Amino acid sequence: MSREGAPVFSAKAVVKTFGTLRAVDGLSLAVEAGEIYGLVGPSGSGKTTLMRMLCGLTPPTAGEVRLLGYLMPRERRAVEEQFGYMPQERAVYRDLSIGENLLFFGQIYGMDRKRIAARTAQLLEMMNLADRSRQRADRLSGGERQRLSLACTLIHEADALLLDEPTIGLDPALRAEFWDYFHQLSAQGRTLLVSTHYLHEADRCGRVGLMQRGHLAAEGTPAELKSRAAALSGRAVPDMEDVFLVLTGARQGGAQ
Amino acid sequence: MKLHRIGAMAERVLRQLWHDRRVLAFMLLLPAFAMILFGYSFSGDIRGVRVAFVDEDKTDLTASILENLQKDEALTVRVLAPGGDPERLLLDGGYQAVIRIPAKFTSLYYAHFAMGVATSAQGRIDLTLDESDPQIAATVRKSLADALLKLGEGGPVDVQVRDLYGVEVRFIDSFAPAIMGMVVAMISTVLTLLSIVREKVDGTFARVWVSPVRRGEFILGYVLAFGLIALVQSAVVLTIGSLVFHIVINGSIFWAFLCVILFAVGSVGLGTLLSALAQTESQAVVFFPLVMLPSVLLSGMMWPVQAIPAVLRPLSYLVPLTYSNRVLRAVMVKGLAPWQEPLGFGGVLAFVVLTVVAASLVLRQRGRSTE
Repeated sequence: MSREGAPVFSAKAVVKTFGTLRAVDGLSLAVEAGEIYGLVGPSGSGKTTLMRMLCGLTPPTAGEVRLLGYLMPRERRAVEEQFGYMPQERAVYRDLSIGENLLFFGQIYGMDRKRIAARTAQLLEMMNLADRSRQRADRLSGGERQRLSLACTLIHEADALLLDEPTIGLDPALRAEFWDYFHQLSAQGRTLLVSTHYLHEADRCGRVGLMQRGHLAAEGTPAELKSRAAALSGRAVPDMEDVFLVLTGARQGGAQ
Repeated sequence: MKLHRIGAMAERVLRQLWHDRRVLAFMLLLPAFAMILFGYSFSGDIRGVRVAFVDEDKTDLTASILENLQKDEALTVRVLAPGGDPERLLLDGGYQAVIRIPAKFTSLYYAHFAMGVATSAQGRIDLTLDESDPQIAATVRKSLADALLKLGEGGPVDVQVRDLYGVEVRFIDSFAPAIMGMVVAMISTVLTLLSIVREKVDGTFARVWVSPVRRGEFILGYVLAFGLIALVQSAVVLTIGSLVFHIVINGSIFWAFLCVILFAVGSVGLGTLLSALAQTESQAVVFFPLVMLPSVLLSGMMWPVQAIPAVLRPLSYLVPLTYSNRVLRAVMVKGLAPWQEPLGFGGVLAFVVLTVVAASLVLRQRGRSTE
């Protein structure tokens, strides 16, 4: 469980540098329980690096990141069973079947076979992969493999989910399907941090952080961001892509 | 450290191998293939061993010994005049054995037969043997023994053997332990390496890394899976070795398997270690000859370490298979306990500790690093 009152995901003035590159540059955010928070921005804006810091895969160069109130990566042992991480790669074992992938990820989280089997049936039903349990992952289509990857993240029923570009490479219909899953998960009380470079997907989030060059250019609900963009540009801005352009452009304008 | 997670890791690795039928077949066929290939290349019927026959007695009896020897296809016998130095004949004459029958052989031979145990007199034959190739030496011994057996009543004959270069061990006997070690090293190192690199490429490594699986559990999972595979492979080598090539196992199979498993653990460690140096699967493949060639050439598998040029010899002691060969040969051929071959056993233990600790450190680095 989260430390009392602590946000599920939080970052304070986080910096991460790789050589001379500042991948994340003084970013702060806090995601509260039950939210679907979208990290939205173009490729290379630092979304993946932030995610990796949040789940303890890489330490920040400066500042601090916390997951359920625990400092990452130092205190990651305290929360390792309470979050699920879906990497950007379709991170499943290609040479295992769907069922075996889920079995393995269930086992390493200490679930027994019976519980894994029940949970597998439930997830495959949800992902439209029922009756496919014995199919090998390398024979799946891209979209199916992506669904399996999501199922592997969900197997141990974690409350906090970090999904790195879960819809990348999917066709629009499948992307919509994925966002339906996310809303189902949110309805079950889970907290989701979802990164995407499809700016339109921001509309499906509860709250959005527009990322640009390692920091948040703007943050708010989709409606708030739209009205802020409208106020700045003096016209209605219904399209998220325009919102991004206006708000990031405004920031650059403000800095000059 | 939780057993169930180590078990989960091992089960997953075994399942992956089970699904890849080609790799699976390779794993089982490789030990069989290596044993048969090497076995036949080194233990095929020997023909035409050059033997010098020096007869200082010249009787009907010695003539029939010569005749028997000449009938033996394994030998090419040349009769030489008495007086030459047998060692010189071996060194310079290109002979692999010199059989010398001293004067009075025949009379002593029959005297012993007539007087039985009452006399110490006994026909003696001098056999000077090049033992550097144990198989050839064994062939000569056998042929001579056969030739004497066919003489009929008389004897026994005291064959005085002078080994020039070695002790009596059949090559194939000392080869089976080497094949066991080589196959286990090859499979464990290369498949661990490939498997971890693939985890890295596919992103499953990151998933496992954020899960409760500890570094130790990760490595032990691989160790458990490949330890089991090593057992099966060793059993294949030993079965073919004893059924097809009749290898002699003087020692304890238990100790042999234990040493093989230890060696597999070290090889898994080495594979993990090498995985730090490879970013892609094709880079990983490059390590294959890098591991294999020194193992085959420098480990004392094909020829004794003492036969390796002095310049290269220190390298032999950097090759893990050198130690595995020593200890497995000591256990299987000489019938010793592993610790009675301290250099080999110590070397294998050091290999295990060094690679597993280093692998663990490498994994920690890996966990922290980022693409």
